[in-house]
Amino acid sequence: QVSVLYFARSAELAGLRCETLSVPRQVTSLQLWEEIVKVHPRLAVIRDQVVFAVRQEYVLLGDQLLVLQPGDEVAIIPPISGG
Amino acid sequence: MDESEDVPKDFIELKSEKLSVDEVSELVVSPCCGAVSLFIGTTRNNFEGKKVIHLEYEAYTSMAETEIKKICRDVRQKWPSVKHIAVQHRLGVVPITEASVIIAVSSPHRAESLEAVMYCINTLKASVPIWKKEIYEDEYSWKENKECFWTNSGK
Repeated sequence: QVSVLYFARSAELAGLRCETLSVPRQVTSLQLWEEIVKVHPRLAVIRDQVVFAVRQEYVLLGDQLLVLQPGDEVAIIPPISGG
Repeated sequence: MDESEDVPKDFIELKSEKLSVDEVSELVVSPCCGAVSLFIGTTRNNFEGKKVIHLEYEAYTSMAETEIKKICRDVRQKWPSVKHIAVQHRLGVVPITEASVIIAVSSPHRAESLEAVMYCINTLKASVPIWKKEIYEDEYSWKENKECFWTNSGK
């Protein structure tokens, strides 16, 4: 079970800012995205723009294998606009 | 003045109160430094012909602070003479012409602090998880920095 955080446009599309989701312990970043989209289908439209932050490290959506621990923070990161 | 207190420091703050240039400059002033360089990011009142009413910022706060710390660490590697670095970013509603970000760097001579300030703001725009929403008269828009390191326009 991981904590999923939503920001900016992804929070608007998902309709919430954080939740706990059950996901496989080992999963590629793309598979993790697909698990999340099953719960929030409206997120599909931003798939090409987002990255993840897993335990506060950026991860691109792709083949990278993630090893998740219970309570890990996974954040959906839409294109940033600080400064 | 106790010189042992003047160790290089990073001052990083994300807050919803109005930012103060005086306060941020004061943080980095140091007796050994002849230069303090500043960048202030202010909110513009227009975008592509649309009137901007105000901006709203949100952040993944804990990660944003960590990413800014990484930027400070990089600055110190590239410009070892840099003394103090202060980065303050405002969150929540920012009215037009008010500052959304202030960066100040002190160094003995001006070249390093000027270059370091530019590096800080450019890298912040590329990698720090903060988002800006522009509020227009009848709609709004989540902005995307062209510097964002994973979008096509950043390549």
